[in-house]
Amino acid sequence: MSQSRKKTTRNLLLFVTGFALLVVYFQWPFISNGVVDYDDIGDHFKYGSIGSEPANGIPYWIWKALPELFADKLPGKGYASLGFIQEAGHDRPVGFSMRRVLIDRVSLNCGVCHTGSVRESSGAAPRIVVGMPANTMDLEGYTRFLMECAKDERFTVDRMMEAIEKVGGHLGFIDRLVYRYAAIPQTKAGLLATAARLTFIDRQPDWGPGRVDTFNPYKALQFNFPMEKLPDEEIVGTVDLPSIWQQRQREGMQLHWDGDNSSVEERNKSAALGAGVTPATIDLPRIKRIEDWLLDTTPPEYPFPIDQTLEKQGEPVYREHCANCHGESGRKLAGKYVGQVVPVEEVGTDRHRLDSYTYELLENQNTLYAGYPWRFSKFRKTNGYANMPLDGLWLRAPYLHNGSVPTLRDLLNAPEDRPKSFYRGNDVLDRNNMGFVSSMPELDGRRFFRFDTSLPGNSAAGHRYGITLKPAEKNALIEFLKTF
Amino acid sequence: MSKSKSMWRRLILIVAVIVVVIAVVGWWHLFRKVPVTFASDEDHFKYGSIGIEETNGVPYWLWLVMPRIFPEKLPGAGGYASLGVVWEEGQEMPVGFTKTTIGIPRVGVNCAACHTTAVRKSPTDKPQLILGGPSHQFDIQAYQRFLIACAKDPDFTADRILKELQYVYKFSFFERVLYRYVIIPFTKRGLLAQEKQFAWMNLRPDWGPGRTDMNPFKLMVLKLDDDRSVGNTDMMAIWNERKHEGFLRHSDGLDPVLIEASISAALATGATAKSINIPAVQRVNQWLMDLPSPKYPFPVDTKLAAAGEVIFDRDCASCHAFGSARVGKLIPLSEIGTDPNRTKHWTTHAAEEFNRQFDKYSWGFDRFQGNTGGYVALALDGVWARAPYLHNGSVPTLQDLLTPAENRPKTFFRGNDVYDPLSVGFVTNAPSRGGRDFSRFDTALPGNGNAGHVYGTTLPPKDKTALIEYLKTF
Repeated sequence: MSQSRKKTTRNLLLFVTGFALLVVYFQWPFISNGVVDYDDIGDHFKYGSIGSEPANGIPYWIWKALPELFADKLPGKGYASLGFIQEAGHDRPVGFSMRRVLIDRVSLNCGVCHTGSVRESSGAAPRIVVGMPANTMDLEGYTRFLMECAKDERFTVDRMMEAIEKVGGHLGFIDRLVYRYAAIPQTKAGLLATAARLTFIDRQPDWGPGRVDTFNPYKALQFNFPMEKLPDEEIVGTVDLPSIWQQRQREGMQLHWDGDNSSVEERNKSAALGAGVTPATIDLPRIKRIEDWLLDTTPPEYPFPIDQTLEKQGEPVYREHCANCHGESGRKLAGKYVGQVVPVEEVGTDRHRLDSYTYELLENQNTLYAGYPWRFSKFRKTNGYANMPLDGLWLRAPYLHNGSVPTLRDLLNAPEDRPKSFYRGNDVLDRNNMGFVSSMPELDGRRFFRFDTSLPGNSAAGHRYGITLKPAEKNALIEFLKTF
Repeated sequence: MSKSKSMWRRLILIVAVIVVVIAVVGWWHLFRKVPVTFASDEDHFKYGSIGIEETNGVPYWLWLVMPRIFPEKLPGAGGYASLGVVWEEGQEMPVGFTKTTIGIPRVGVNCAACHTTAVRKSPTDKPQLILGGPSHQFDIQAYQRFLIACAKDPDFTADRILKELQYVYKFSFFERVLYRYVIIPFTKRGLLAQEKQFAWMNLRPDWGPGRTDMNPFKLMVLKLDDDRSVGNTDMMAIWNERKHEGFLRHSDGLDPVLIEASISAALATGATAKSINIPAVQRVNQWLMDLPSPKYPFPVDTKLAAAGEVIFDRDCASCHAFGSARVGKLIPLSEIGTDPNRTKHWTTHAAEEFNRQFDKYSWGFDRFQGNTGGYVALALDGVWARAPYLHNGSVPTLQDLLTPAENRPKTFFRGNDVYDPLSVGFVTNAPSRGGRDFSRFDTALPGNGNAGHVYGTTLPPKDKTALIEYLKTF
């Protein structure tokens, strides 16, 4: 009796232990997950994870070692040389998140494309502004850097382990095994696979800092379209990065440059895919935290004196010529045609971006997040570009959807008189013309990007509104726009 | 002794419980049917099941990722869109594709797959969808071949497919096991079996977009011997059915009753006599009664059209106007002179088999006939949206149809949904658009002949122009 009970107890224990082991075995990737969290919402935006690491994260120590091992592939020292913002006291630049998926992995978040830097003058310290377009960072440069590293013959386990040691990664026994036999080979294979899908970017003019092609990488990475089949008309979709303040007022407007989606929430989930999340790995609570915060976050005020008299003169000019399409003010975004699409023939700006978003892509997007209540259903094919509110306009240069016009003053000139080429990537303000300094090829050893408006997708044509105003009216209008 | 007896009893009980649990769980994940119904008839037409998923449904999650894993097996970029499959904005499934749960979610096709026309006004425009029109843009044969080609690929493995799916949807542990050991291997086996069932297709000219074949009726539904005949035929418009009552159905007039044509079409598309959902087909039929034909989407010169009306009444109306003597009736092959393959293909033997094989079902067939010896003169409602023309879709535009047969295009491209308002038809000279390769139609191949129907070809050019203008108003 007692013997059999003992036996039963032993069996039960054995069973429970076995079961527990099984559970741990299968759930290990989740159990071991850990996210670096930030109390401050600004830090969460800049450094927090949105769930892009499981599918697209680079193991932390490899990510640290790449600039060491492949210093020759960067324009300068470290990732900051690609224009990423490096804040003091932070290990990673703005926009780089970290999460443990078996091992720590680094990936991108919203902050990478939507945090910018501004300086009063070349000697001044940069002011980091969350929510503004990332005006200095070269996302294509970063992508190319990773792909070029993976293709390089120096990307071997031994050399990588050596470089990791050099940058301070004194890995323990288990981690050494994981890196040697899994992380390094898998990262190389993963980057090579991505590179194979992204070869089409060789058919595009360089994006330069502050710009991104949203929907062509989408076709390649989400759906594995055979990109070589796509005609030239749709292969260039490069646009300026947008600001993302005051989203509450934007709900229901046609969002994205071509107004292809009018749901803030769906647009956000789509943008998150661009940063590397997947429908199965997206971190909804952490994205929600950002979404809620962005609803009413406002851009910083223009920090320099505004000429009150001039500004007062500019207001009626704005009301007459601009307000219907661009909203009442920088805080009241509504207007008769704000957030609505104007046909491309009418607005006359470069049509590449519009044509890069195809109905065939939309059809496939309908299947994203399938199986979840938030499956995409709001994407629409339009025939033009949407009228944008102008909040924080002083931080949003260069202008037009493709960032082809460096300053507001240039935008108020006839297209034929706008600069044919200029430099992007400088964060020093051009207060006189409202924009960033765009005439300097180089500053303090940092080379800027020459933007050529004659290349496909880069045309500075169109948006002829206000070009016939008198010079005094233009001055006044520009002054008034500083209040946005 | 009694102890061992009670242990046995306990063991049996445990085994019984396990068996029952497995049975219930297995039933739940493999056979449980969750009917999907649509409130509107239109949505039912576009997305409702007619009962083919049970035997010919593809597991949804596999269907979703196959174009992403095997894009090279498609005629271009765009996933299923490169086959001419069209989604409405916001819809999870394309028009004509159903998603129903039989254990797991499965994808099938319905009537709308072959009977929805896509039209674009320009290459950068988005398509307008015309329900009930022929799916001139959809290559259903290429779709079938794509599924089979995927299954044949050495990469069609549980590892590869689950790897793709891990970032698409979070499966439970049980679902992963189910897909790995049951769904994926069985899908592969099923599709490989279809390769044999569809082998006859490879002995005949390709259908190309917007066309189908009567051979699935003969070889797959009736299981007759392959006589090597070609039954390729253009998909048809199915609107305004009330006005078509009494018309002979199919291009060769093989049956005068709409519901018989509809049910047999569902069987040929993959439903079985057991799985077919007759009320669902009836509901579609009822809705088709008063479905209007589409208005021409470009401007019409009304004065020119009025001049064309006179010509139509004189030269065309006797065969093509509703209420005329010959409309909806057979025109003998000797008179019409169009490609003979299709009418010779459907034999009296096949018709009799159809009328006999389904006798035990309440919906069995009575009115099939074969060897009709000609083609039906159709009414021309919405004719602008029904290009290419003739029963085999061998003439791209109305302009071409009014051209003597020897001067009609010998080859052209099908599948483009961009409209050509000058010639009245779809654009057929572009080999590709938007990364999709179109299908080259060769009129020299069996079943593809573009001869015959010479009516109107000798009209003076300005009469042709007027007539075409008038036909836009149909």
